[in-house]
Amino acid sequence: MRIAGNLLLTLVLIFLIGPFVIICIAGLSGGETLAFPPDGLSLRWVQRVFEVESFRSAFWLSIALAIGSTLLALILGIPAAYALDRYNPPMAETIRNIVTAPIIVPGIIVGLALLRHLVVPLGIPITLALIIGHTALLVPYAVRVVSASLVNLRTDVEEAAVMLGASRLQSFFKVVLPNIRSGILAAFIIGFITSFNQVPISLFLTGPGVTTLPIGMMFYMEFNYDPSVAALSGLLAIMSLAIVMLAEKLLGLSRYV
Amino acid sequence: MFANRRLGILLLAPATLFVLVGFIIPVLILLAGAFRSGDTWTLTNYIDFFGQPLNREVFVRTFRLGLIVTAVSAVIGYGVAMAVVEAGPKSKGRLVAMLVLPLMISPVARTYAWLVILGRTGFVNVALTSIGLTDAPLRILFTETAVFIGLIQLFFPLMVLPLISSLENMPRDVVPAARVLGASWFSVFFKVILPLTREGLVVGGTLVFVGSLTAYVTPAILGGSKVLMLETLLYQRVSVANDFASAAVIAVILIAMSILTNMLLKRLASVRRGR
Repeated sequence: MRIAGNLLLTLVLIFLIGPFVIICIAGLSGGETLAFPPDGLSLRWVQRVFEVESFRSAFWLSIALAIGSTLLALILGIPAAYALDRYNPPMAETIRNIVTAPIIVPGIIVGLALLRHLVVPLGIPITLALIIGHTALLVPYAVRVVSASLVNLRTDVEEAAVMLGASRLQSFFKVVLPNIRSGILAAFIIGFITSFNQVPISLFLTGPGVTTLPIGMMFYMEFNYDPSVAALSGLLAIMSLAIVMLAEKLLGLSRYV
Repeated sequence: MFANRRLGILLLAPATLFVLVGFIIPVLILLAGAFRSGDTWTLTNYIDFFGQPLNREVFVRTFRLGLIVTAVSAVIGYGVAMAVVEAGPKSKGRLVAMLVLPLMISPVARTYAWLVILGRTGFVNVALTSIGLTDAPLRILFTETAVFIGLIQLFFPLMVLPLISSLENMPRDVVPAARVLGASWFSVFFKVILPLTREGLVVGGTLVFVGSLTAYVTPAILGGSKVLMLETLLYQRVSVANDFASAAVIAVILIAMSILTNMLLKRLASVRRGR
């Protein structure tokens, strides 16, 4: 029984993680087309990833979009989470449902809805539309993660600060914020990864010249069968791994996921 | 908790307004489009949509694949979760980290790996032809099998994590007790373990099911236009044919499934709290 269980566990882990090993090796191919095992080893396709202009611009757009929309989601989400937890506002349940709604709507529908009923009628530029879509997706994460760390922070420290003469604003910035710092950092990392990897929302909101990296990769692989996407996928996997390991070391991210 | 309600409303307003204007209103207008034709409210869009054999086929396929992926992940998930729990607290952390890892990596990169493995010159075909099992490369890509494999890899972690935590919350000695009293492994699983971990199974199952129904990247890359699912059909209807009526109908189906599932999860959570 025990041996069978461990065998199954090993097979499943190979199934889950093996493909990343294979893609990293395929990205180091020396041949012209994607193949496994690869025809010789070289770094030419890794180098090529950095030379393709569309990958480069898409990478920077994705980074900027991920940072911008995560920050915006936190600026909107932190006060909302704080008010929901501490002020017991009217219709709290309804408002919580509204601000966490984006998580239950499939991204492709969000993208299409924004394109048809916000971007086109109001003439909003495409980059702004991308920021709106990604921020809407991330607000629920920001509210949930920050709420979780607020629940763990006792309210009497704030009461004490106020009683000792601090204003509400001072007590928020000097007492509350430093205490939920790791929750905010966790929300930032989750938001960054979610936005950076996001495909469906961006699908309808990207156009020629304005493309996020995952969308750019999908279009590239439709017309090219060379190992450069494999090399890029390998690099992205290593990047996510590094971020997650760093986060785990800094704050034990797994508590929040 | 604090008395000043007006301040509370002020703090909530930006997020609420942003989500309303930048998300809820556009989505509602889109969904309303599914019930409109010309200037009247009607269900003709649904009749037209389900009148097409291709659309019916995609609808059935999406639900079928969703159910199969959920069932297979549940069966394997129980085996893996039990092995993880039995491995003891020391190695548990490392095992869970390895199981969660794929969730953090770009779905495009994750799915592309299967292109390398299942493609004509990929790992599987090279292996099969070199040991002489097949003469010509097998066609695995752009079949339901390929989409199934991709979806399992993508969503298995969402099934196994809730199963691990509900197995851990199960009282330690119920399984040995049932064994001592003469129950077979079969009846131990169905009469003891399954009822006690039902909650984890429901949470994991709904996450995997909704995830599979609403997946875009996996069917787009591994299924292409041969194996359409609801999301890839939606994209195709809009980008190829400007057919917004069908897109709205698909959107209603997907959102309805997603909301139903979410309500189920919420009810489960409140039952747990009330106990």
